[in-house]
Amino acid sequence: MVLTLFVVNGMLSWEDYTSGSVPKEQANWFLQTVATFITSCSVEQIRLAPDKFISLCKRFKDQVLQLQAPMQGIAPMRTAIRKLQSSAEHLTSLHSDFLLLCIVAKCYKAGLSIMEDDIFEVDQPKDFFLYCYYGGILNIGQKRFRKALEYLHHAITAPMTVLNTVAVEAYKKYILVSLIHTGQVLPFPKYTSSVAQRSLKTYAQAYIDLANSYATGKISEVEKCLETHVDKFKLDVNLGLVKQVVLSLYKRNIQRLTQTYLTLSLQDIASTVQLETSKQAELHVLQMIHGGEIFASINQKDGMVSFHEDPEQYKTSEMIEHIDSSIRRIMLLSKKLSAVDEHISCDAAYLSKVGRERPRFEIDEFDTVPQKYMTM
Amino acid sequence: MDLTLLKEAIASKSYDQVADICDELELQFAARGVNYQNEWPYAIHLLGHIYVQDINNARFIWKRTPSAIKESQPEVVAVWKIGQCLWTHDYAGVHDAIRGFDWSAEVKDLVSAFSESYTKRMFDLLSSAYSTITVADVTKFLGLSEEGVTNYALQHGWTIDPESKMLTVRKMPKVVQQKLDPSKLQNLTEYVFHLEH
Repeated sequence: MVLTLFVVNGMLSWEDYTSGSVPKEQANWFLQTVATFITSCSVEQIRLAPDKFISLCKRFKDQVLQLQAPMQGIAPMRTAIRKLQSSAEHLTSLHSDFLLLCIVAKCYKAGLSIMEDDIFEVDQPKDFFLYCYYGGILNIGQKRFRKALEYLHHAITAPMTVLNTVAVEAYKKYILVSLIHTGQVLPFPKYTSSVAQRSLKTYAQAYIDLANSYATGKISEVEKCLETHVDKFKLDVNLGLVKQVVLSLYKRNIQRLTQTYLTLSLQDIASTVQLETSKQAELHVLQMIHGGEIFASINQKDGMVSFHEDPEQYKTSEMIEHIDSSIRRIMLLSKKLSAVDEHISCDAAYLSKVGRERPRFEIDEFDTVPQKYMTM
Repeated sequence: MDLTLLKEAIASKSYDQVADICDELELQFAARGVNYQNEWPYAIHLLGHIYVQDINNARFIWKRTPSAIKESQPEVVAVWKIGQCLWTHDYAGVHDAIRGFDWSAEVKDLVSAFSESYTKRMFDLLSSAYSTITVADVTKFLGLSEEGVTNYALQHGWTIDPESKMLTVRKMPKVVQQKLDPSKLQNLTEYVFHLEH
């Protein structure tokens, strides 16, 4: 034990010399030694000095980035996270660094491996914001918009007393992903911090404008808005995502038609959703059928499309398996929630605060269960 | 460079594992800090992802491929041409890209395996998305000649109107598993128990 800690310490004191620019061979030697250390170190021992281990790994990450070899750091950092975390639900300070390396290396898929576990324990608030922001970017890259929305949503609704840049950038992406995935931007939920509710919007005016023009359902309006703010979007490196927003409006408009019509000619679809030719409309419809977004069949003979109902009848084994796993997940979650609730109710600091705010209890205040839960 | 695992997967025709094996190997090689890129099988790595229809990640591999490799290995560029057509939904372009290059012995089998599964997938898509479609359009989707298309379609129970060259699609009934095993009932009991406590 003493020996390993000694090695960590040794590495750290060496690392002090490296803060300036170092010759490449020397830097490489450092990276190799740290990588070997991470793979061979003992789990119990590094957990005795987590701060030292984290600062070593962070230096390792900086060095990899400086050498412009982010790929080199991915596998060691992944190992480091697994060794450091006390459970799969534990968010370490290394999570966000790892995701950053994956993004810079353009190796998004590697980042997904640590995002499969839900996070329940967080050491530092900053880690959490960055983790959610980078996690959002990774999921956008994989076109998993539902998941991306979830991550970005966490970043903007997490408790904060002052506004931070991460939340602002996350909010911009949140608006865009929200439009792509659901076609609208929902208002902040009640538990959002008041500072976020008050000021996030002022930093994202261009994006709010885009959402407003999207709500009109007209491609021309959205494109006009894109033109007005194109520099802003470019500056934020969100232009690609904005273009996906524009494309999603075609889909959304076609989807809306399926709610009104049973059959419609390709020509009519093209003119309603502002596509130039009926062939383009046909390709859009085909892609949407391919993606399972609508159910329809194209009749080339008459140039017509007939829309169908969702054929899912919720009785296949696969669907039952799916529902089953959802129920199990929710049950686990509810158990965890009641455990936390119990834990907080026993917390002395919480009780004294609640006691101070409400010095005298009225008799009916003891009935803390709201009516709507009683009737369930 | 030790690529035994990858070679075994290709030799045993487990093409759907190629992408994951390549991803993991690449991370391992990169971690050693040696210059692995020149020997790395980028073409196979890309194809592995294209084979499992993971175009998003194929695109990222292309983005992180060093430009020197792109210039010196035309096969890598040719493979990405396929990916590009898939990315832009250029259905006919995929077949042209597959035919447009003289593939080396290492990737040949993988390309033809993809081509086969892609044609089959396209046919399934057409079956579900069209009720009638012209022969000319089907040739684009399937990358077959008109004659080939007609035979392929008739084999699958479609009918053809020789006058207008219009094919009528026969929907394929989906076979789904609906049987339940008794353990589900046990689960259900546990859920109810959970709700009551």
